[in-house]
Amino acid sequence: MGSLLGDWPSYNPHNFSQLRPADPSAQPSKLTPVTYHPTHSRTLPPPNQVISTETRNILLRQFYQKPEEKLRPKRAASDNLTPAHGSKQLRGAFADGSN
Amino acid sequence: MFRSNNLAARVFERQILTPRPGASVNLVRHFYENLVPSCTIYDIDCPDHSFRKFTDDGQYLVSFSRNHQDLIVYRPTWLSFSCEGEDCDSHSLPQKAKRFDSFFTQLYCVSLASSNEFICKDFFLYMESHQFGLFATSTAQSHDAPTTEGAIDGVPSIERITFYLVRLEDGVILDEKAFCNDFVNLAQSMGVFLYEDLLCIMSLRYQTIHILQIRDSGNLVDVRNIGIFCREDDELFINSHAHVTQGTSLLSGIKQRLLSFIFRKTWNEEADPTLRVQHLKKKFYFHFQDYVDLIMWKVQFLDRHHLLIKFGSVDGGVARSTDQQPAFFAVYNMETTEIVAFYQNSSEELYSLFEQFYDYFHANSRNSLHASFISSHSNNTHALDQLWCIKNKTNNISQFVKKMMTSLPCTCQSQSPSPYFDLSLFRYDEKLISATVRHRHSTEHPIKFISRRQPNILKFKIKPGPEAGGSDGRPKRISSFLFHPYLPFALSIQQTYMQPTVVNIHFRR
Repeated sequence: MGSLLGDWPSYNPHNFSQLRPADPSAQPSKLTPVTYHPTHSRTLPPPNQVISTETRNILLRQFYQKPEEKLRPKRAASDNLTPAHGSKQLRGAFADGSN
Repeated sequence: MFRSNNLAARVFERQILTPRPGASVNLVRHFYENLVPSCTIYDIDCPDHSFRKFTDDGQYLVSFSRNHQDLIVYRPTWLSFSCEGEDCDSHSLPQKAKRFDSFFTQLYCVSLASSNEFICKDFFLYMESHQFGLFATSTAQSHDAPTTEGAIDGVPSIERITFYLVRLEDGVILDEKAFCNDFVNLAQSMGVFLYEDLLCIMSLRYQTIHILQIRDSGNLVDVRNIGIFCREDDELFINSHAHVTQGTSLLSGIKQRLLSFIFRKTWNEEADPTLRVQHLKKKFYFHFQDYVDLIMWKVQFLDRHHLLIKFGSVDGGVARSTDQQPAFFAVYNMETTEIVAFYQNSSEELYSLFEQFYDYFHANSRNSLHASFISSHSNNTHALDQLWCIKNKTNNISQFVKKMMTSLPCTCQSQSPSPYFDLSLFRYDEKLISATVRHRHSTEHPIKFISRRQPNILKFKIKPGPEAGGSDGRPKRISSFLFHPYLPFALSIQQTYMQPTVVNIHFRR
């Protein structure tokens, strides 16, 4: 039968546990639909994150960025090889068996 | 996108159609294809005033008396009449349709200029949020003004220029600001830029940018003056060190900022320290005197803190077309008093910003919605096609770039927001009529507005008037067109040398 809302992930494993199918003859094993929930918290936003609109419009951003772009190629090539995103981890190492 | 062209079908579709996000205005504008000002009433008898423009919210028609001393404001209304009988459409319009006051109600007549002053007909800025209008009066221009301290040579002088802030609702003059023995380019409102509640006035003679704020109460308040001094306390600092600066003449604050920016930019261009000095000599010191001799011509706001200033040589100071003279553009941050960017008018980098982000040069604040929908080559593919067409045909890219750069800094409120000028709705001959409010040479042929989405279907025509064919050759005629910002209503004004002005009304019957 599947739940009415499909097999969507949910953060709380106890959601949808109260669902009762309309059809009384349904098998009890299918009463509680499978809920998916995250097993790690790596993708949560930082607690003090605030998202707001950039006050400068795009034209002014271009005026500010152009001279900075011109300065950047002056650095030696070896500088660019150090990873800027050190916090990122390889995907394969943490693959979970849960679905 | 409406599926049908029929007006009634579109009204039904609008009830169920959800427009694309952010494009609801573009969709609703398609109704203007159905409601067009196709009926013309020629030569209405109207008072002999020079009509300036409709305000951008469509509430007022601003006009000036012939003697350039009074301001007369009308409220646009609509002709209303009733007819009996079955077939009303075939009836001709009643006699009162030929009268100006069937379409406009006079609100008031206010005298702005006294004896030797005249209202500058070309100058009008509107602050929509409070319905304030800014007008300017000036005395006669004199070219042989005595050189006073701080004034530069080569720029004419006007004894007195006064700006008046008028509440258009009732004609009360709220505040005024006068400039004496100065010169501000009032033609087409070029020397003044209004952004939200901030005004910047370019005083050419004293090379100062005056920043004023229009308060809610209607007062004009000085915020800062940029020119000799950049920060508010610069003057105090210089005066308290007068013993040091006595005898030497310092360059003005803005010039110092500009020169130091150019120096640092040239310094950073050359990575090798041994070649740096040579590079500086070639690029900076060789042109040093030319940079020092630059003067500010025109200024606009890019946002509340940034100004775009055009610099050039004294010779081209007052003229509008500057093809031969080199010109420069600088972006200046008023808060940090730093120059952010500096380009020559042949710069392809600046041109690419102009091509992509032209709407941001127009600095429309978030308050005025309709102004964001004026067609430009940055928001309309047809306009962009036209621009690329010209660009591809030209042999000399540098000349093309310089020509495009003459439209920077932008002039405030110079284009009509009427949807009939929207290039995605209509195609029209831009040499004969366009969103820019300007006098044009008149043409005998009617100006056609052809639907963009159904090619070759004529939607409506504006015929400036019956021919005035005289036996002594065709008289020279100048037309100007005033379109109401959202109603299917337009005035066309024909001026012929030595003959009375003819005003026609084009509207949807």
